[in-house]
Amino acid sequence: MSARAAEAWSKPPAVPETHYVSGLVYSDESVFADEKRRIFDRTWHLACHESEVPEPYDFRTVDYVGTPLLVVRGADRRIRTFFNVCPHRGAKIVHELSGNTKRFTCFYHLWSFDAVGACTDIPRQEGYQTVGLKKDDVGLREVRTEIHVGLVFVNLDDQATPLGQYLGKALDAFEGPMTAGKGLEVFHYNRAIIQSNWKAWQETNLDVYHEFMHVLLRRTQMTAAPLEDRKVTVHPNGHTSIAGLRAKYEYYKGMQSRDDRLALPTLRADDFIFGTVFPHVAVLARGTTMRIDVVTPLDAHRTLIEWRGLGVRGDSAEDRQARVRHHNQYWGPFGRNVPEDAYAAEAAEMGFGRGAARFQVIARDEGGSGQDDGMLRAFYGEWSRRTGRPAANPSNAPMA
Amino acid sequence: MTEQNVRELVYRSCLALDREDFDGFLALCDPALHYVVTAYSPEIRKEMTWMEQDLAGMKALLAMVPQHLRRTGSLHRHVSVYQVEAPASDGTIGALSSFLVTHTALDGGSRLFAVGHYHDRIAATGGRHLLKTRRAHLETRDLGIGLHIPI
Ligand code: FES
Ligand SMILES: [Fe+2]
Repeated sequence: MSARAAEAWSKPPAVPETHYVSGLVYSDESVFADEKRRIFDRTWHLACHESEVPEPYDFRTVDYVGTPLLVVRGADRRIRTFFNVCPHRGAKIVHELSGNTKRFTCFYHLWSFDAVGACTDIPRQEGYQTVGLKKDDVGLREVRTEIHVGLVFVNLDDQATPLGQYLGKALDAFEGPMTAGKGLEVFHYNRAIIQSNWKAWQETNLDVYHEFMHVLLRRTQMTAAPLEDRKVTVHPNGHTSIAGLRAKYEYYKGMQSRDDRLALPTLRADDFIFGTVFPHVAVLARGTTMRIDVVTPLDAHRTLIEWRGLGVRGDSAEDRQARVRHHNQYWGPFGRNVPEDAYAAEAAEMGFGRGAARFQVIARDEGGSGQDDGMLRAFYGEWSRRTGRPAANPSNAPMA
Repeated sequence: MTEQNVRELVYRSCLALDREDFDGFLALCDPALHYVVTAYSPEIRKEMTWMEQDLAGMKALLAMVPQHLRRTGSLHRHVSVYQVEAPASDGTIGALSSFLVTHTALDGGSRLFAVGHYHDRIAATGGRHLLKTRRAHLETRDLGIGLHIPI
């Protein structure tokens, strides 16, 4: 068989239904609406790292699939999250991306709110006396906020499973590197909008096979440890992790092996550990430094990616410089790897975005090792369960 | 060293990068080159370093560029040298420039890609003017899919 005519092209691949994905998951607007309602409105979203709000009254603002959020550390050191919108006439209250304040005053009519979301001031409040409206009635909408290994997660669904239960053991491998000793802090934050469906980015984090695309990984990773040493773990709720990856950095021209002295707690400098949290978080530790991705759809064809780089809190200037260098070798907008992944995500959009490509094959089976597609299948399994639409045929009517 | 020499060096370094004439670019660099790309993040309230290379590192990095999968099209650095300082005690001269970088896609559309400033120090070595340090400070932080070569 060679090239295919239209009919053959439109036929699903001859593999089990769990082993391919329909292009409609990227392009169908009703699928996107369901993703928002059934996935993003109900799952835990990584808002920031706790080091971004280290002191009482520190705040961060973030946008989550169209919902402006305000993350604040209170006087009691607890981190809380609120809709960053005014209960009076709906305006977005805080426009700075970060800061420190005891009082958030809406610019519009100067209603004020404190770090626990209570309304503390309404100018000329007597004007509401006839209808009996009081400050107590107009607090901010609080959003569930829980922290795990320093990561601040929020959930728009007040009935959602608690974070610890949702994550299970998915991030266990990161417990040591992220929490032992002084803990970590974010030294790199970069956000970019890429022209692709959000899943095309997350797939670059789930697809082990694509290491062929990266000359850096061909040199430093595929040769560093036997491919059979790898072990993919599929966790409940669609999370994944992979162990058994190593890197020989010195195999790439201009890079040196990393000093074990700089290794994050419980890791070796040449370890590479990796995990994803469904739907849209990836956590990567390359021995001496870490990267965290948060992938947020803007619409079906545009995606906001936030990348963070982390080092050890209280690093000496010299150690920090080394970690930043290690981070930037692979990651960041000038890294050797990240721009290649983004290129791939945008190329997938060119294929799937308007329906030219019909299916993608996620059928590699290497027994959970090597370059197995198990992480992609786990992702789409959970995706199907949550949306009620089989990823292989998402136009099947959603289950109730 | 004249102000004119300094301006020319800044412009030539950018033309070489625009053309991806990496050998030509490296020939304009001092052996003690220190090239950094920085940006400030209001999200984490920190100065960030996105690339940091000495001459050996820059050579190795540029030599590998053709092996990478990377952004298609071309970049065009539009540079204005705003300030050329009087020579410092070590003989180097500081220059402050503004840059606007446009990206032109393969099919011919151009759009603004990044804006920022170059903070350069230029050395006069053996009668030649060479780029000794450059801090390319980006105002633009959303670089789309990113890039493999220095800005
Ligand atoms: S909208 Fe905020 S005070 Fe009126
Ligand atoms: Fe990749």
